[in-house]
Amino acid sequence: MRAAEAVLRFREGVARFLKADSIVDDARTLESYNRDISFVKGGRARLLVYPQNREDVRGIVRAASKNKVPLVPVSSGPPHYRGDTVPSADAVIVDFSRMKRIIRIDPVSRYAVLEPGVTYGQLVPELRRQGFKLVMPLLPRANKSVVTSRLEREPGLIPKYQYDYLDPLLTLEVVYGTGDDFRTGSASGPGTPETLKADGVNPWGPGVLDFFRFVSGAQGTMGLVTRAATKVEVLPSLEELFFITSGDVRPLVEAMNRLLRKRVVDECLALNGANLAAILAESLPQDFAELKKDLPPWTLLVGLAGYQRRPEERIAIMERYLREICGELGLKARPSLPGGGGREKKVTELLSGPWRSEPYWKLRQKDACHDIFFLTTLSKVPEFVGVMRGAAERHGYPFEDIGGYLQPMVQGRGCHVEFSIPCGKDETARVKDFFIEASETLINEGAFFSRPYGPWADMVYGRDGEGAAALKKLKAIFDPDNILNPGRLCFREGGRG
Amino acid sequence: MDKLTDYRYTMKSCNSCGQCRFILGPMMKGWEYAEICPIHLRYRWDACSGQGLINIAQELLDGELDYEDGLIEHIYTCTTCGACDINCKSVRDMEVMDTILALRARCVEDGRGPLPPHQEQARYIEAHHNIFGEPHEERSDWLQEGIKLSEKADVAYFAGCATAYKHPDIARNTVRILNAGGLDFQVLHDEYCCGAPLWRTGQVEAARKLAEHNTEVFRENGIRTVVTACAECYGTFRGFYPRIAPPDFEVVHISEVVQRMLRADRLKLKGKLDIKVTYHDPCLLGRLSEPYVPWHGEIKSFGYHEPPKTWRRGTHGVYESPREVLKAIPGLELVEMTRHAENAFCCGGGGGVPAAFPDFALWTAAERLDEAKSTGANAVVSACPWCESAFQNAIDADKSTLQYHDFTGLVVRALEL
Amino acid sequence: MEKVMSLPKEVYQALLKVVGPENIADRPHILAALRHTNPQSGRQPPSPAAVIMPGSVEEVREIVRICNRHGVRYNAVVSMFGMGGVVSQPGMLVISLRRMNRIIEINEFDRYAVIEPAVRQVQLKAEVFKRGLTYPTASAGPSCSVLANFLTSGDHHTQQSSSRCSRYLLGYEWVTPTGEIVRVGSLAHGAGWFCPDGPGPSLRGLVRGYGGWGGGLGIVTRIAIGLDDWKGPRVLTTQGHSPDYKIPFPPDCHRVFIFKFPTLEKVRDAMTEMGKAEIGQAVLKFFYATEAVLFTVSANDFRDLWNSGLYQRELPRALWVYLAAWTPEELAYEERVMRDIVEEFGGEPVDASITRKYEENMDFFILVSFLQRVLKLGGGWSPTKLGADSIHHMFEVAAAIPEFFYDFIEKGRILDAPHNFQVIPMEYGHAAHIELLFFFDNQRPDWQQIPAEVMQKSMESDIRHGFHAATPPRVKAVMERLGPLYSNFQVWTNKIKETFDPNNVSNPGPG
Ligand SMILES: Cc1cc2nc3c(=O)[nH]c(=O)nc-3n(C[C@H](O)[C@H](O)[C@H](O)COP(=O)(O)OP(=O)(O)OC[C@H]3O[C@@H](n4cnc5c(N)ncnc54)[C@H](O)[C@@H]3O)c2cc1C
Ligand code: SF4
Ligand code: SF4
Repeated sequence: MRAAEAVLRFREGVARFLKADSIVDDARTLESYNRDISFVKGGRARLLVYPQNREDVRGIVRAASKNKVPLVPVSSGPPHYRGDTVPSADAVIVDFSRMKRIIRIDPVSRYAVLEPGVTYGQLVPELRRQGFKLVMPLLPRANKSVVTSRLEREPGLIPKYQYDYLDPLLTLEVVYGTGDDFRTGSASGPGTPETLKADGVNPWGPGVLDFFRFVSGAQGTMGLVTRAATKVEVLPSLEELFFITSGDVRPLVEAMNRLLRKRVVDECLALNGANLAAILAESLPQDFAELKKDLPPWTLLVGLAGYQRRPEERIAIMERYLREICGELGLKARPSLPGGGGREKKVTELLSGPWRSEPYWKLRQKDACHDIFFLTTLSKVPEFVGVMRGAAERHGYPFEDIGGYLQPMVQGRGCHVEFSIPCGKDETARVKDFFIEASETLINEGAFFSRPYGPWADMVYGRDGEGAAALKKLKAIFDPDNILNPGRLCFREGGRG
Repeated sequence: MDKLTDYRYTMKSCNSCGQCRFILGPMMKGWEYAEICPIHLRYRWDACSGQGLINIAQELLDGELDYEDGLIEHIYTCTTCGACDINCKSVRDMEVMDTILALRARCVEDGRGPLPPHQEQARYIEAHHNIFGEPHEERSDWLQEGIKLSEKADVAYFAGCATAYKHPDIARNTVRILNAGGLDFQVLHDEYCCGAPLWRTGQVEAARKLAEHNTEVFRENGIRTVVTACAECYGTFRGFYPRIAPPDFEVVHISEVVQRMLRADRLKLKGKLDIKVTYHDPCLLGRLSEPYVPWHGEIKSFGYHEPPKTWRRGTHGVYESPREVLKAIPGLELVEMTRHAENAFCCGGGGGVPAAFPDFALWTAAERLDEAKSTGANAVVSACPWCESAFQNAIDADKSTLQYHDFTGLVVRALEL
Repeated sequence: MEKVMSLPKEVYQALLKVVGPENIADRPHILAALRHTNPQSGRQPPSPAAVIMPGSVEEVREIVRICNRHGVRYNAVVSMFGMGGVVSQPGMLVISLRRMNRIIEINEFDRYAVIEPAVRQVQLKAEVFKRGLTYPTASAGPSCSVLANFLTSGDHHTQQSSSRCSRYLLGYEWVTPTGEIVRVGSLAHGAGWFCPDGPGPSLRGLVRGYGGWGGGLGIVTRIAIGLDDWKGPRVLTTQGHSPDYKIPFPPDCHRVFIFKFPTLEKVRDAMTEMGKAEIGQAVLKFFYATEAVLFTVSANDFRDLWNSGLYQRELPRALWVYLAAWTPEELAYEERVMRDIVEEFGGEPVDASITRKYEENMDFFILVSFLQRVLKLGGGWSPTKLGADSIHHMFEVAAAIPEFFYDFIEKGRILDAPHNFQVIPMEYGHAAHIELLFFFDNQRPDWQQIPAEVMQKSMESDIRHGFHAATPPRVKAVMERLGPLYSNFQVWTNKIKETFDPNNVSNPGPG
């Protein structure tokens, strides 16, 4: 069956249950899904559908399975960066942005149940109103989907709340490539969602498998998530942000390790001058350039918090520990940001919500921005910063212009390291070479690209034949017709691994 | 006398928890020296453990297991050190050691046990009243001139076979200490083997005869207190004799005697010994030394023992007195092994193992010496002639620089006798 | 003896070649220790055909491959403390991993330890303490295998400030049911042991879920586990002799409190608030009868204590709190917060003799050295429920226990202890675990039926109410029956089993 014909049949199938305005074939709209800011190129979006509920999603998947039509799920609004929503072949886009109900915010058991289209911009203020706080990634765009961000294991700013790499994701409702729906953990049953009394906050199982893990980091290849529960935290009644600066990452890494080991701090992240300037600059390019010049090479941002009971007392004790640890390392924790021109308040504000203005902070310098990010342990962070610097030098890219972000994860037992390379229109080819070579070098040196988007997939799976083989077995179970975002990860014909 | 069928409750209660092979939680020190069952450490099968032996006992009793090839050897590899028993009893109301001993007795009763070397020992004992087949008349040859004996004393020093024939120094040192402390005592020329080698190999009927004989000798000589420097004798008097008849004498170990004398200022440890030692608790002086109290009753709902039973959990073993005495010796530094007191690892010298499985006995002693060395001590001290043989063999085989001292030897040196 | 089904000669010989004659056995008396009737479940497992002890991952792989070639069913085992039994079908090969007992690495900075299967709690705990670290240690006794516990269960008393063990399972090395060696997560990428998830979808999801496979999906030969900071002493200062040990902690930074509340709802709410305030190394509603069993040495002592009625009076609606801090000031702060909460919900201290037991035996919060005492009433002890969800849901489940429990009590089949359940919050109250324990009288002729019947009634009650109070067990018939009620999870579980174990040789389970 030719692709166009298959899509046509698919369209006939879904038209039986989707409303007319939920099926879009307008060329310009479709065109916008064909590429993003990444280097990934691929096939074409042939049709766009907007499911409204689980039954719609099941119907869409069944129709796709019947007609062998690839589906590419998209939940966040544009721009996209990772290439994961760019169809690898002619495909139907399943856009979840109309499934955006906040189904429940439970103040007692501290969780929220969301549809995939719920964005940070939507959820954060709602939670705040009710006295809760969401562990945020660093300044996500406001139209980013909370569910997919958590599914993709994006790091959060408060490592102490994270007990493993999937935390704070709790349970999922998912539609597999077979069209069957499934609920994970304590949302699984007994009975139907209507009769089940559980809150759905136990993520594990049911039974002997951690089903939620198979769908995580999968870029939509293992199932389409129609609902997810995530933890939320108590909104502190008192917060204090401290800045610890250094010319070298090493002492900061040591400080992060000790602070997290003792669980002294809430927010805990380090940014280099380029990133901090991009975030704080009022105007471009002058203010940005000045800030970048004045800010220290690396700044560690740590937040102390007091919750609902005796907040001052808690902060006083934690501050004492903070000072002791900094003292041991010859560092200073200051409430002010040296070189920041008095913009401490702004930092505090920014960290508590998504990025709301245009352009997105990563796009303030140049039209595009290419991120290299991976996981490692804190002990190895300085080494990888060195590796990246070496690669930048080899490619004649000024290292100081690259954004640097260190986000400890899982209580400091791991660390997300992210380099953002701004890229002008005229330097795409050069930056691409740099990006590819730096990624390869980092992987060779033992950086763990746990979310292998775009070109990383081949680099990563090519090194792990047994693991890729196991993943393919799983894929064949949950998506036997290979209709869910085909071509991603190790799931493509001719792909390595 | 107890029988294997008396231990049905133990067999049924075991849940394979594995505590009988590992050091007790409160004593944890690290990865090394965490195991306490010699046969399990060496052979690793579950069957090689207190648990395995009671599982085997149950299957034999129920006719689910035959006396197949290798079974008797298997049952007799166990050193009867009782580490399993004490560990199990730290958490359970079970009789692991007594089940193993009753299993051996059952093998003997069924004509399948013990092993030939144990049978030979029994023959020697039958003929010469000692385990080595040495002439009975020479039993007191260790006695030297100058020792003051008191024929009227109600205290007897009981040397035991191993001391009398193989480690006469221990006997000599012991009586010198008693003299120095001014304790009147007798040496009974008609003492027989205490019965330990027979009891621990399941030859309980033969052991009973020895117990009856020795008890009679004590009675005839008006003995109310028996002093011994042998852990096996000590543990047998306390753990076996009451199974035959209620004992009418008290048993004390030489370390307890010295402790009392020191406390009463009847002895002074003046001689300086610049040495760093670690003390090895002999099984039958430590965890297995509590007096046996016969129990006849019924086990009711939820394990309730009616009437209440006196358990031997190893709480009141002779742990403190040797340590207190050693620490009182000027210049002597005492360091502890990870596995000490009720958690001590066996020297490999008990249960008939050296006679039947000398290589395994040697291996066990070497394992223990390795632990002793790890403390930084230059000597290991114990208070039993069987331990001395086991350790000395291993030291000789390994050409180890570690030294072995019997408790009594160090005390005599410190007393400058 | 006929009951042992033996392996074909050529298979035995092939296996013997892999490990050498010292490390394989099929004599019935060696196998006797592997088929003993379990006093907790009442089940007598069938006899295995042989037992083998590999010494390395390569040997494990070879053994597994031989089993696949010849259709021999196998199961891995370490210490056999598990409730399930290791041999599910006659004629299986038991792969005992006892020789693989090394601690490969303890990384103090990045806070993880890499271990082989036969490393025991009593070994690893002491080693990490020495380094000022700790890990979530299941209340499964000192001799339990850390690896097996991380693969099977892993609930423990200090989950308030940490989580279930499964959260702390990092990279692992896995011999698949068909004999491939797969290294999972960062490990496969030369990146170390720290992360089990990715690249891409997480294979960590295969090795265990809420519960574990019980050996049904290959053999894990090494795992890394996450470590947490340890506020207690680096070396235990134990006093006394077995079984009367005392293990006190420095009281200025370690305190135990037990409060009784007017209702269970108040216990629940106080627990919830302590989670929100992020206080407490351990916070739990503990089992009152189990506590009486744990803190007495013999069955007779237990009966005396239980019959005194003290625990029934003080503990059915109580909350246990263990505060641990770096400094006395921090402890004082947590105590003030705790007292605010306790006062708010009408709590008051229980009889001091009960609290003292804990303060003298702080190992309760670190290893539960005396855990096996729960079996001392003849072994007749079993857990049920064993599920997790929110604190509120767990208390809702608890409130319904009397519906099915009293029938067993009234017939004298189980101990009269209707409040013998525990609820332990985890991750500062983001979820909680429930467990209902019952002591059954195994001197009764029908003792072997009691555990299964209680579990059955408990499950029926959960289903009736729509409670997620347990995860369905991996028992084929039960899975098929209950699966449709749990999102048809059995369909996917079976598919995974069939895909990864096409010859169905890795512990196929009973029946
Ligand atoms: C009295 C009692 C109380 C308990 N309390 C608790 C508690 O509070 N919390 C808790 O978490 N648990 C508890 N448990 C259960 C305990 O978790 C298990 O007993 C333990 O985790 C299993 O470890 P084990 O050392 O006995 O391993 P084993 O019995 O050797 O193994 C357990 C299972 O894991 C499988 N397995 C073993 N090794 C491997 C491997 N390398 N690869 C793949 N599969 C393997 C085995 O096939 C077996 O099915 C309790 C058990 C008892 C008896
Ligand atoms: S004998 Fe005792 S310690 Fe050993 S496994 Fe059985 S119950 Fe546990
Ligand atoms: S008595 Fe000693 S050797 Fe024998 S099984 Fe018990 S611990 Fe092992």
